[in-house]
Amino acid sequence: MRKFGIFLALTLVLITLTAGCAKGTTVRSDFIDGQSGGDAETLNWILAADASSFSYAGHTVDSLATYDNQFNIQLRCLAKDIEVSPDALVYTVTIRDDLKWSNGSSVTAEDYVYTLKNLMFSDWLNYPYKSDWQEEVDGKTVFVTPQAVNDTTFTIIRQTVYPEFVYNIYNLIPYPKYIAVNYEGNVEAFTQAPEFNNLTYTGNLGPYRFREWSRNDRFVVERNPDYYLGKDVGAPYFGQYIVKLFSTSATRQAALEAGDISESGIEPAEVNRLRSMPNIKVYTIPTTGYTLLAYNQRANGWEGLKDKTVRQALSMAISKQTISQAILLGFAEPAYSFIPATSQWHMDEGVAKYGVVPLYDKQKAAELLYREGYGIKEDNGAIKVTDKGGNPLHLILAVNTGSKPAEDMAFSIRKDLLALGIETEIKLVPWATLLRQYVMNSVPDSKQEAAYNNGPDAISQEPWDLILMGFSTNLLAPSGSRVFFTTQGGLNFFGYSNTEVDELFNRARSKEALDKNARQQIYAELSRVLSEEQPVDFLVFHRVNVGFQKNVMGIEPGINMGYNYYLWYFEPVK
Amino acid sequence: MGRSWLRDYIIKRLIYSVIIAWCILTITFILVRVGPSSPADKYLANIAARGGDPAQVTAAVEARYGLDKPIYAQYFSYMGNLFRGNWGWSFSTSMPVIELIKTHWIYSFQLILLSSLFAAFIGMLIGIYSAVKQYTKTDYAFTFLSFIGISIPNFWLGIMLILVFSVKLGLFKTYYDTTLPLFSLDNLKALVLPVITLGTGMLAGYVRYTRSAMLDNLRKAFVTTARAKGLPERTVIGKHVFRNALLPLVTIIMFDLGSIVFGGAYLTEIIFGIPGLGQISFNAIFANDYPVVVAVTLIGTFMVLLVNLATDISYTYLDPRIRYG
Repeated sequence: MRKFGIFLALTLVLITLTAGCAKGTTVRSDFIDGQSGGDAETLNWILAADASSFSYAGHTVDSLATYDNQFNIQLRCLAKDIEVSPDALVYTVTIRDDLKWSNGSSVTAEDYVYTLKNLMFSDWLNYPYKSDWQEEVDGKTVFVTPQAVNDTTFTIIRQTVYPEFVYNIYNLIPYPKYIAVNYEGNVEAFTQAPEFNNLTYTGNLGPYRFREWSRNDRFVVERNPDYYLGKDVGAPYFGQYIVKLFSTSATRQAALEAGDISESGIEPAEVNRLRSMPNIKVYTIPTTGYTLLAYNQRANGWEGLKDKTVRQALSMAISKQTISQAILLGFAEPAYSFIPATSQWHMDEGVAKYGVVPLYDKQKAAELLYREGYGIKEDNGAIKVTDKGGNPLHLILAVNTGSKPAEDMAFSIRKDLLALGIETEIKLVPWATLLRQYVMNSVPDSKQEAAYNNGPDAISQEPWDLILMGFSTNLLAPSGSRVFFTTQGGLNFFGYSNTEVDELFNRARSKEALDKNARQQIYAELSRVLSEEQPVDFLVFHRVNVGFQKNVMGIEPGINMGYNYYLWYFEPVK
Repeated sequence: MGRSWLRDYIIKRLIYSVIIAWCILTITFILVRVGPSSPADKYLANIAARGGDPAQVTAAVEARYGLDKPIYAQYFSYMGNLFRGNWGWSFSTSMPVIELIKTHWIYSFQLILLSSLFAAFIGMLIGIYSAVKQYTKTDYAFTFLSFIGISIPNFWLGIMLILVFSVKLGLFKTYYDTTLPLFSLDNLKALVLPVITLGTGMLAGYVRYTRSAMLDNLRKAFVTTARAKGLPERTVIGKHVFRNALLPLVTIIMFDLGSIVFGGAYLTEIIFGIPGLGQISFNAIFANDYPVVVAVTLIGTFMVLLVNLATDISYTYLDPRIRYG
């Protein structure tokens, strides 16, 4: 009878505990995020230039703000949204007053100002993204001016208007001044500082605290019970968040299938099979990445590519449907400019949709090329595309090795161009070779160091006509894409130059663009001009598939799916 | 005193090893540093996404790690540090190179050791059996299976083993778990599939080599003499034939051991997510992290040289007639 009583009591305790898990608040299992994108380089994020390092550190320290799937700003370390002065030159930032470093001291506005002035802007540290905080004033590059107002408020003052500058501020993460001063001026000591490399300073600033980083294997953070956003709701709900690295997508997907990990990216060919599995749910989400075909308009590319009509004709002959449907199995949509439909700045009106019917037309493409002098009419009236001398046209298409979809796209493009009579030689080259020999350029017989855009007279080491490459767009601040499409753009390796486009990008970063409607019109015009000009053939915007174990709850699928990940939880076992 | 020639020989070989290692180290350093890539290459996607200035990022990264200095200056600085016992700072993993190697060598070592033992032990047993039972059905079956074993690519076998034994049957985890205690049954269990993956090709090779070496010796006169003297067959095979067959086998096993240290083991490490030295060095090559690449190459070189030395020494014990001048 006594044993029965104990059994009954234990059963009641168990039932009570299970009931308490209704919202997942007491579930503390580990979440394992399977990734294949390569390991981070450092947790000392201010030194990092790669995305993984920011992502790892981001588990333990929040930025000032983020945004949800509809691009609504979500405050994090900010107490209220950033105030921008009417002339858009002064940004007033007010942080929360409950942010703490690990030693218990408060995170102050001075920490943010110190991080900017003494670390990011310094000469000794070589912060890689200084340009985010620089502006051109009277032909000189200068830094913006941060200034602490009181413990929780600081300002950043610009001398020129840049309407999208606020998004750089939202991403700001502070370093603890009380630790950083000990290493100031000594880059080696700063680089190797244990506090920064082990994230020991992060206090209550992130949902998790650093626990372990086994290189090329796993990065482990554990629940931070003091997290400033989790205090009231008991979040986060995972005991540990583990990033587990896999070198192949096949083994990563097998781990998800076997239930060994909680989340993994899914290859397009595997989506249907994994969707049919009872223990897995797959979300298809848009991305900011797109693939394009660059047309070499420099001196060592085919001369025809300098002619807008020729570029239009080639784009008209390359099927975007084949790429998005047959190669990427529907997980992509045709692109016509650098702004995807998911962006608030997207406008469809007036955009030339080359590569889809009716602007996918090989016959018309051949006629356009013939009209420009690149073709001969055969006896049966058919047009064969040639160079201006009537000789067969031979183009070089370079693409980096290691990406099966990219290689398939290259072969699809070759097939499309062959239908016009253009022979395309595909050069599959490793990434480093592609960059050094095809993408980077310098003026011949000069002592110039090779760079991605060394001016209109620069050419690459190896001749090329077409390069298949992936780019991406900042959806909130698309004017960053000026690096690709303006004459001076740092990544304009294909040598495109158009004063109208340069002017439009300048306007997107000017006073005029403070008015959101005006900015919308500028981006609409940019999309229209670039779709018409075809400096590159914008091929497709990609969608990715992410698989989760079915018991992971709280996910809001969308373009910034992880914005609320600290609220995710495992469905309690019933 | 009788084996003083061996001590002199070992000392001479060690001196040669240091010189060879220094040459390989220098060549590796030059190849990594003059290669057509920069550590900043892999940041291009992130720079593009942020609308950053690629020239500024590249300059910042190269300046921070001293990669903007002339190659000879980098070389002398690196060699000077190495001479003082400082292996440098790995900028692709943000830790001292020596710490990185200390943390990860064990994963490669346990995999290579267990795979070699598994392959050598089972391979030689099957090889002996095949030779003794030449032209029987079992011999044909082992011959057939060993050819399959030699032909199967590691990466394919590994993935198949995962799909069958981990995903379908749920007997093993799909990846190697580094949190398991090193000397535990769980760790041994976690290594079963990687060891089979890495060991199968070697095992199949040893079956063929052992069979062939055994058959060579079985036909020799001393075997007939031993049998004529009425020695039991087990003694003839085990003590006389196998011992003589061991000499070429030791060469092959040692050579395999040297070549899989950073070559063959790499693919297995990749498939099972084992963060061993193979994977570390591969990633370091792509990151242009020369302190790691050079250090791992140096260790690999010394291991191969030492294995070769050990092979030579073992010959003198296996065949006392052998002398080195």
